[in-house]
Formats: sequence, C-alpha cells, structure tokens
Amino acid sequence: MTRVIEIPTHFDERSFDQFARSYGEPTGEKLLFDAHSTQFASPYGLVGLLVAGQALSEGDHDRPLLTVPTDRDVISYWTRLGFFQFAAEFFELHGKVPKKSSSRISDVLLEITPIREVNDVHEVVGAVQERAATILSHELGLESTATMGFAMALSEACQNIVEHSGTSGWVSAQTYNWRKRLGRKVVVIAVADAGVGFQKSLEATQLGRFGDRWGDKTALESALFHGVSRFRDPGRGQGLQGIRRYLSRWSGKLGVRSGTARLVIVPDWDDDTPLVDGLPPFPGSEISMIIPEQQAE
Amino acid sequence: MKRIDLSEVLKEASSTTYNNLVTRATGQAIRGHIENELADGNRDQVAVIDFGAVGCLDFSCADEIVAKLLLNHGEARYFLLLGVSPAQREAIEAVLERHHLAVAAQDRSGSMQVLGPIPEVARKAFGFLVKAGSADESEVIEHLDMNLDTARAALNELCDRHLVQFSSPRYQALTTI
Repeated sequence: MTRVIEIPTHFDERSFDQFARSYGEPTGEKLLFDAHSTQFASPYGLVGLLVAGQALSEGDHDRPLLTVPTDRDVISYWTRLGFFQFAAEFFELHGKVPKKSSSRISDVLLEITPIREVNDVHEVVGAVQERAATILSHELGLESTATMGFAMALSEACQNIVEHSGTSGWVSAQTYNWRKRLGRKVVVIAVADAGVGFQKSLEATQLGRFGDRWGDKTALESALFHGVSRFRDPGRGQGLQGIRRYLSRWSGKLGVRSGTARLVIVPDWDDDTPLVDGLPPFPGSEISMIIPEQQAE
Repeated sequence: MKRIDLSEVLKEASSTTYNNLVTRATGQAIRGHIENELADGNRDQVAVIDFGAVGCLDFSCADEIVAKLLLNHGEARYFLLLGVSPAQREAIEAVLERHHLAVAAQDRSGSMQVLGPIPEVARKAFGFLVKAGSADESEVIEHLDMNLDTARAALNELCDRHLVQFSSPRYQALTTI
C-alpha cells in the first residue's frame, strides 16, 4: 500500500502545515510525494521537502517516490535551485528531470546548499556576501551594515544545524517581488534540518525547570526570547536572539517551526499568528527569514 | 603594544579561504592563537586586536574571541580592539552585554570608545582621557565637573576593568602606539 503525500500547489511557509499534515508520522508504509501539480515552491518549501526525505532516509524507511512537477518552468526553477541534485539522494524521482543547469539566475541569492559541518557555514557566508551586498543595498535599499548583519544571521542559523541538530540540514535564499502580498521586494531565506528539534535539544537543561509545561512551544520561547542553549556556557544561545534583533531592525519576519509548534516574530506588514502549538508534527527545525525592501521615511 | 592582525590569524587558524570570522569553532581556534601569542609577552603591554582586515563577525565568533579573551585574561591584561566596523561592533556589544564586560575599541575612522556596559560617568571619564591622552584625578574633576567621589568611582571602574592604565598619579588612555 502506497500513501500519497500531496505537495501543495503553492508550497511555501504558509502552506507548509498542509504538507506536514499530509506527511503525518510515517510508520514504514511506501510513500509517494506528489508534486505533479505544484506551480510554485519557495526555498522554505523545497528545503522542507528535502528534510522530509532526509528524515525518512535516516529513519531507515523505504526510499519514497517523488513525482516531479509537470510544469516545465517549475521543473526548470527547481533544477536551477539545485533541488533535484539533492533530492535524488532521498527520493526515487518520477518524471522528466533535466540535468543540472549551468546558468545562474539573478534572483537566486543562494542555491540549495547542504550544511553538514562548520566549513559549510564558511562557504555559505563567503558565497552569499557578494551577491547579498548588491541585492540588499541596491534592490532592497538596506544600509551596508545590513549586508554584514545578513551574513551574520545566515551564519548563526546554519551553525544551529551543525551544533544542535545532531544531523545535517539545508539552506537556500531567494529574492522575490511580492507585488500583491506586500507591494515590495523581499529576500526569503530558509534554513532547515532533519534533526532532533528544539525540544529534544534543550531537554537536558530545561525539562526540570518547566516540568509538565515542557514542549515544542516552551522550547522555542526559551531559545528565541531567553537565549537558552543546551550548553551551560553563558555565552551560548545568542545566535537566534541576534537573528531576531537583526530582523526586527529591518522590519523582517522570523519564523521558527519545530515539532508541533511555530513561533513567529511578526512585523507590522504581516498578519501571521505569533505562536501556534498543536501543529502537525514534522521532523527537525525549519527557520524562515524574510527581509523586505526598505521604505523611505 | 602587541598587535595581532585577525585576518592573519584566521589564515593560520582555519582552512577557509574567506575573510569572515564566523562559527564558534573558528573563534575558539583564533582565541587559541591569540593566547599563544600573548603567553610570552609583558602583561602591562596593550594587546591590540586588529579587526580592520576581516569582514563578517558573527555572535558565536565574537563570544569566543572577545568575550572569552576578556573573561579569561581581562583582569590581568589590557586589550584594545582596532578597526572595528559598525556591523562587527553590533556583534561585539551584544556578547559584552551578555557577560557584563567592557573593552576599549577604536573604529575604522579612528574614534575610540568603550564597548559594553559601563556607568555613564566612567564612559565620560574614558572619553576625556582619550582626548587628553592622560590626566590625574584633579584634571578629571575639573574638566568633567564631577565631585571627588564620582570621579574616583569612575576612574576606579576604568582601572578595575583594564580600560585605562594607571601610573601614579596619572591615568592614561590605551593607545595603539
């Protein structure tokens, strides 16, 4: 018996819970990830899909199937983002997949990049800096200090994978012109891993403090608002708080999903729910960062 | 003065080809190199840590390099950060705030300040000493219009945190010379 997991037609952080619900909690059945009718996927959606495949692979499940989108433009974009190159590791791909594109598209700030070790973080920060400087200052109107802050935020988010997830993860960034949704350009960054998640990572130091209240929601709050880390070193736990400060300063949006909870730092241009618990469970942690074009005072 | 160029240390301590101070592991390796370089030196000598030729500095690296150097050696040594960019300053100030530490720093325009939380009167006294080069207690009282107790508390704070040097009866700003 094969269970079908629907990939949303418009697959981003807003439709991610729909995907997570469909993903459910696999118990060994054959899985088919169906993306044939997908028309759009953000970096968040694509790294989330890789996380699903990675989690199944690391959990010794059968290799799942993935039917690729039928829309040529969508396939072409996923290819240019480097998705199929990594997806082939976890999924049996069904459908016509072009070879990796050699062309680089100008609005891709960072192709999907695996984060496995500390050197990968250096590579990501180094690679993104030059492109980020141009895009952030020229297209989004951010000051030059924001470019460095962007690299710092990216570094901290990727380091969390290496230091806390217990496995590897993925990062990707892309610019969009959100004409309808916001009337401005944005940079969207997604960082995700298939690891233990915030609750498990912080459990050893925090469970005793919270008792019955300990869960995904309290773990996210502890990390984002109180700088709590699994390490007892008081210098630890500053990364996510730094990301939060950086995004707040530039009217950005930060969303962190782990397990069954999602915590969002909501800017005034968005109407997302700040804290949601009881979501469909999903492996690891997924971080979304959105920086909008700055408006003149 | 002992000057340590972080871009050179980064080349030695890490295999990365980039010029960014990112990741905690990199910060630990760099701090190790700095500690080795300082091990044989005179403790009264100012250790100048030069950030001028490096790019991004993240919180983890700032914590390992700046905060842990001060935590481990700040009571015995004088540190002056040189060539700090506005973005690097943000990361450094965040980690100093977290540990309640302070350090003297010169930005890329040559302006010298204390980074990290210190009382406002101590910050004022530091600014005056930077401008004057050195001063005794009475000059600080006169120029900053402070009473004796306030001036003394401010100067003691700066001395205790190794933000200025004291050679009786004068207090002296840290310099890169």
